[in-house]
Amino acid sequence: MKNLFALCALAIVLVGCSGGDAAKSESPTDKPGSSAASESKQITVAMLPKKKGVPYFTSCSEGAMEAAKELGNVELIYDGPTSGDAADAVKLIDQWTAQGVDVIAVSPNDPAVLGPAMKRARDAGIKVLTWDADADAANREFLVNQATPEEIGNSLVDAMAKDLGGDSATGEVAIVTASLTAANQNEWIKFMKVRLEKYPGLKLIATKPSNEDQKLAFSVTQDLMKVYPNLKGVFAISSVAFPGAAEAVKQAGKAGKVLVTGLSTPNDMKTYVKEDVVKSVILWNTKDLGYLTVFAARELVDGKLKAGSTTLAAGRLGEKKVVGDNVMLGGTITFNKENIDQFDF
Amino acid sequence: MRTFRWSRELTLVVLLTCLMAAASVLEPKFVTVRAQTLLATHLWELALVAIPMLLIVITAGIDLSVGSIVALSAVSFGLMFERNVPPVVAVALTVIIGTMLGGLNGWFVTKMKVHPLLVTLATLAAYRGMAEGISTARAISGYPDWLLSALQGPTPVVIFVLVALGTHLVMTRTYFGRWVLAIGTEENVSRFSRIPVDRVKLWLYGFSGLVCGIAAILLVARNNTAKADMASGLELDAITAVVLGGASIHGGKGRVTGLVLGLILIHETREFVSWHWKQNELNLVVIGSLLILTVLLENIAEIRKNRKPQPVNPASAKP
Repeated sequence: MKNLFALCALAIVLVGCSGGDAAKSESPTDKPGSSAASESKQITVAMLPKKKGVPYFTSCSEGAMEAAKELGNVELIYDGPTSGDAADAVKLIDQWTAQGVDVIAVSPNDPAVLGPAMKRARDAGIKVLTWDADADAANREFLVNQATPEEIGNSLVDAMAKDLGGDSATGEVAIVTASLTAANQNEWIKFMKVRLEKYPGLKLIATKPSNEDQKLAFSVTQDLMKVYPNLKGVFAISSVAFPGAAEAVKQAGKAGKVLVTGLSTPNDMKTYVKEDVVKSVILWNTKDLGYLTVFAARELVDGKLKAGSTTLAAGRLGEKKVVGDNVMLGGTITFNKENIDQFDF
Repeated sequence: MRTFRWSRELTLVVLLTCLMAAASVLEPKFVTVRAQTLLATHLWELALVAIPMLLIVITAGIDLSVGSIVALSAVSFGLMFERNVPPVVAVALTVIIGTMLGGLNGWFVTKMKVHPLLVTLATLAAYRGMAEGISTARAISGYPDWLLSALQGPTPVVIFVLVALGTHLVMTRTYFGRWVLAIGTEENVSRFSRIPVDRVKLWLYGFSGLVCGIAAILLVARNNTAKADMASGLELDAITAVVLGGASIHGGKGRVTGLVLGLILIHETREFVSWHWKQNELNLVVIGSLLILTVLLENIAEIRKNRKPQPVNPASAKP
């Protein structure tokens, strides 16, 4: 019996060795003329979400798969840490680098930690993109950018105006922001103020910080309703402020009288939408974001997307703008009572 | 080979060979030097921390706080660096901090007579909490390139080989090694035999802290960041490697050679599973199955052996 085991082991070693040899002779033929941009060439795109299994990213991945299927010459790997641990993300990037995939598209959960791995990938000749969130520009070629601050600002204001009666909307509105120094939010506010000029009936009466604290957002909104009894709408423009503000309106029994709007994934706000506290939830189209990322990856390998490009042909999305090293998705979607049940993320 | 003995090392070699054979057929690129070098970079912190864990497990103890010690040491290193402490001094101080944190575990275990599981479960939480507190849970980055490159590449490998080889020699050639095994086999008898049980244990927990301190610096260098949530779950990986390597959780049994093979097997299995199936979450299942498979394979071998009407040598079960 012992001999049997030893024999098995020996046989396996032999198989292993011959397999290894085969690997060595195969590998040089694996990348034939990778410098020549042959469009029909099969490529592998590895897509890394911040966290795997989160509805938001799953929805992005659906769009990515759709694009891969449509292109037919893209093998898509969608994998990421289920824990959201940056160290696990680094492992995956290194693994893809070792596999020699063509493009790695990263949504970095920690740009500082992922940076060195992204650099290793680039050093190995792999094209690196970021999507959804950016990393150090030196470690990637392009960012697939979901929405510009201007579009977000416009969509928020337009949605509020529409819910308050269209172009002739009137009433006092307030903003509950993240913190007064939050860069993203301040950009949005800047464009919101510009857009508000289009609606002379809407008057912005206050901008209050909530410091990324849902309880504070709750009490700030309560105070706003007390101080300004004619308040008609609240822009709660952080993912934490939005439910906080909505809850304050709900508890004050002012559902439908004071409208709250902001940016969020549909599932997080579904109950408030159904209770008429929130009429519109704004977000960029997550499926399209994944879809565009795969197209950007394809064009990057084909050499069509390069420094200086101004447009990108993205399948069903048509021509998309490229600004500097940003591929712009653009466009937002609005979730409301009619359509919110069609989205599950 | 007349007195052929089925050992854990052999099981692991067989499994490892099977794995690599399968890999070379399914994923030829996986078995290249280039791929293996790149993938190996993630192994060293775990490999280092597993060595003192082996010794502690041999004494029938356990150290659940290793991941937290690494995090607290890493954050301390980051904060010192931020306050312009010279890097060399910061490195030295980090190792000292790690050693003290481990030593504190040892002190509780030996002087307060608290079970190591409880002590290190408490410090697992406490050290992690301290790491979050002193760093206010933010990431500390921005280390100079020379420091990062000095601590990457061959450096971790050299450190690991030295620690592993040193530990192997101590365990096989010195009184200290024999004491460690004796304590795990029969602690009371060891005490009566005038083995300085408490001192040995204190040393081991301190050693664990020291190695965690070193691992912390390597981890910071590799990630270019010190953060309080680093190395979470490291203790489970280390214990898995130790047990897979043939150490008994009841103490008295375990070898560095087995541990090293166990580490390699875990590492290769993990990387291969995620390489081939591209499902990161599969890993947990596979590692669990691997552990069961190893034990099972060995039990089958053991049963077969015992069935034969041969004179069974009971000593063969012990190293």
